[in-house]
Amino acid sequence: MPTYIFIALLTPFIILSSVAYSASKLPATVKVAPEALTSEPMCDPVIAPSWREAQEIEGVKIEASPVCSPDNPAWIAAAVKGTNNISMDTLMKTGLSPDAIIKSDDIDGDGDPDRITIRLEIMELNGKSPDFPGIIPTFDIAPGIQPGAWVFSPKMSGMSTENFESIRANPLLRLPSPVIRVEVGDIVQIVLENTHYFPHSIHLHGVDHPFAHHEHEGQDGVPQTSEIELMPGDRRVYQFQARQPGTMFYHCHVQTHTHLAMGLAGMIIIEENRPNNWLQTLNIGAGHVRHPSVAVREQYDQEYDLHYHAMDKELSQIIQRHNDPRLIARDMNQRYDITDSTEDYYTLNGLSFPYTLRESLIVVEPDQKIKLRLLNSGGESIAIHTHGHHATITHYDGVEHNPVAQIMRDVFDMAPAQRLDLKLETVNDGKHSYGEGDWLIHDHREKGITTNGMAEGGSMSSIVYKSYLGENDMPKVGHFGIDLNKYFTKEYYERRLPVWQDLDDWSSLGSPGERSGLEDKTQTSLIYGIIGLLFGLLLYWTFSKRKSIKQVIFGTISRMKVSKGGNQ
Amino acid sequence: MNRNSLSLLIAGIFTVSTFAVAQSQNTPNTAEHAQHDHSSHSTGQHNEQEADQNHVHHEHIDHNEHQHSSDHAISHEHDHTMDHSTHTIHSSDHASNGVESHHHHMDHDHIMDHEGTMIMGQNFDKLPSSCQSISEEVEITVRAGRKYSAKFPGTAFAFDQQQWNVKPCSKITWHFVNEDNIRHQFMMHGLPKYLYKLGMFHLEVTGPKTVSGAMIVPGKDETFLVHCDISHHMEKGMKAQLVVGKGGTNIPSIPGLTPYNLTDTYEAENLPKSGDKVKSSKMVRQITQFTNDNLQTYGMILIGILLGLLCIPLVKRILWSREKVGTS
Repeated sequence: MPTYIFIALLTPFIILSSVAYSASKLPATVKVAPEALTSEPMCDPVIAPSWREAQEIEGVKIEASPVCSPDNPAWIAAAVKGTNNISMDTLMKTGLSPDAIIKSDDIDGDGDPDRITIRLEIMELNGKSPDFPGIIPTFDIAPGIQPGAWVFSPKMSGMSTENFESIRANPLLRLPSPVIRVEVGDIVQIVLENTHYFPHSIHLHGVDHPFAHHEHEGQDGVPQTSEIELMPGDRRVYQFQARQPGTMFYHCHVQTHTHLAMGLAGMIIIEENRPNNWLQTLNIGAGHVRHPSVAVREQYDQEYDLHYHAMDKELSQIIQRHNDPRLIARDMNQRYDITDSTEDYYTLNGLSFPYTLRESLIVVEPDQKIKLRLLNSGGESIAIHTHGHHATITHYDGVEHNPVAQIMRDVFDMAPAQRLDLKLETVNDGKHSYGEGDWLIHDHREKGITTNGMAEGGSMSSIVYKSYLGENDMPKVGHFGIDLNKYFTKEYYERRLPVWQDLDDWSSLGSPGERSGLEDKTQTSLIYGIIGLLFGLLLYWTFSKRKSIKQVIFGTISRMKVSKGGNQ
Repeated sequence: MNRNSLSLLIAGIFTVSTFAVAQSQNTPNTAEHAQHDHSSHSTGQHNEQEADQNHVHHEHIDHNEHQHSSDHAISHEHDHTMDHSTHTIHSSDHASNGVESHHHHMDHDHIMDHEGTMIMGQNFDKLPSSCQSISEEVEITVRAGRKYSAKFPGTAFAFDQQQWNVKPCSKITWHFVNEDNIRHQFMMHGLPKYLYKLGMFHLEVTGPKTVSGAMIVPGKDETFLVHCDISHHMEKGMKAQLVVGKGGTNIPSIPGLTPYNLTDTYEAENLPKSGDKVKSSKMVRQITQFTNDNLQTYGMILIGILLGLLCIPLVKRILWSREKVGTS
């Protein structure tokens, strides 16, 4: 009898102690293997490195642009000469329609064309298809991030996708809407061909334009004051002859609270009139101006167009939820409430970090003067901070600030629709610049460095000195042990990759795996269960052996009686 | 740079030299131009500029013939048909006040004028391997525009027809009439790649204007996708199919013709109705309000009562049969 009682007691004890032991041990770290990630090359291999070099096409001098994804040089040649003044060979390299940019008539006889016609179409990116459960044509602002958007795009020719097999957008169809550059005194016609399924218009914010034109009628783009909405399939001409230079803004003014945020917004720059001033009429994708105007070249070594924008996920998803234009119109016009909205995607020149590193780096050399033109087309104020530099504000909203009163700052607050022209001087004097480096330039509202709340993302980019450019003209960070590869995976922005897992060898801040033992609550109930079971077994044993127990009891009692009697 | 434009570029390089020569020969070629039969012009009234544009076409056609005649087995026929088709490019009022630049890109596969009017994958005489000869020659006029979407609720653009039927081995001359003031395309996919670059036949024009081009369909029963590839024009209705012979599998989501693969969710909306205002009397409003609110409840009760009444005989019968069983 003692042996099996002993075993019966030992078993629950072993179970209980093992449970207690596993409870004292925390789960091991699970490290996400690099092979499990959808890794993209940091630099898109599709783009030819030769595009980065300084070159001359059709007699147009194009500055070097040492970044991984520079503008197509043929685009620049076409924008400077006009699509009507270049060879068919160059035109075919652009994908533009032959009538996209028409330049003619040197009216003032100063050696440059003064009649400029720019044809813009309106294209949808990342919209729903009724044919397959996906979106088309796709445009990624960051790895795996494809917000539905609309853009003004230069009139093109051929397919909207790369080819029939691909669903990726043609390179001309991209965020942001292109930067337009014309000269003071140019007779400019912006011909809007509404290829989109919704009504739209163009409002020339800040540009000297007539309220109405005797031939083309309303010119202010506002359906409540100057003109009716331009319907799908129709065309409207906006004509102006600007008397003042400056960095300005154009956008759709139909249902502006949604259409602007959807991407129908771009920079328009009126350059000072100079002889022989062949301008880069379109800067597709904004960023580095590789053929700056005469006036800019007089004062600066380089020029960059920096277009800051913000988009709301709930708004951009509407065109991914429905295909029927009536349902999209209903959800956008009647159901979407901008007063309850929050912005989720922050972009610089149409892209978010890390893609900004591919094409929106400000690449500088010591002792340079760089002109930065900034536009905020988001719905909230932003605060752009330049690491390592103080820059001078030369123009507010296209108007020059009194040179004596110009100030230097390192945070530039910009209200919605505001433009600032900055003079960035890379003089290492501890004020203008603190020396060479890969210096961040970012929106200092902290959400501005996130993509849908996931850092690092947003409109962050870098002011990078040439000595800090590495392989493929990406910023050289490897010597500090920094690895940017994790940002080039869609899993990172899906919030599935622990941000700090690679900071040390044993992933001290990696993802904890599932706990191997049992949870505290289950453990306790299990222990009670075992106690109950033991109690039950005891009862059963007592019941089954009741006769022998009785006998034993009676036996002992009688024995006690006998012994008592014996004693008596 | 995408693959498509790369191939165009190659084509462009191939012909750029001949193109340049053509440009420089503009003046001498006008003499040659006079040899053309002007009566075949299908353009109505046109101004000098348009006439000039047609001149350029003639010159290029001539030039093309000279340069390529050795490449073509049937150069005469080639010349004739090409002549015919390019005449039908009508010019129209357009916003440009710029100088006409004579951008005419041309080889046997790709023709483009200064406004981006484009013909790609044109085929006058090359027979598909499945054909012995051309079965019939047909001319089809396709109209494109926003107004054709009116009969298909929930679309924004459309062709005037959604399906065309032809015999196998037909030679089709398409007249693509764009009636909008923007670009539209007539793009056909899935053709034999040994005859059509990327398997495509493609007409593109900014309206209002017409462009024409010819092609030969293969000899077996097949259905080809026709669409406009401008972003979301196909998705929003500009989609059709060409049925050769008995045809193959239908193309999905053609408005009014084939079902959509994915359909949107529609729900009733609380829209104001004109009837809302008529019921102005307080009494009437109260009554209608009452009935509107309670119709469902009372209706269901009524249905329940009727159901109960109907069931009584049934229940009785069951009870009787039980009693019988009990007594026996």
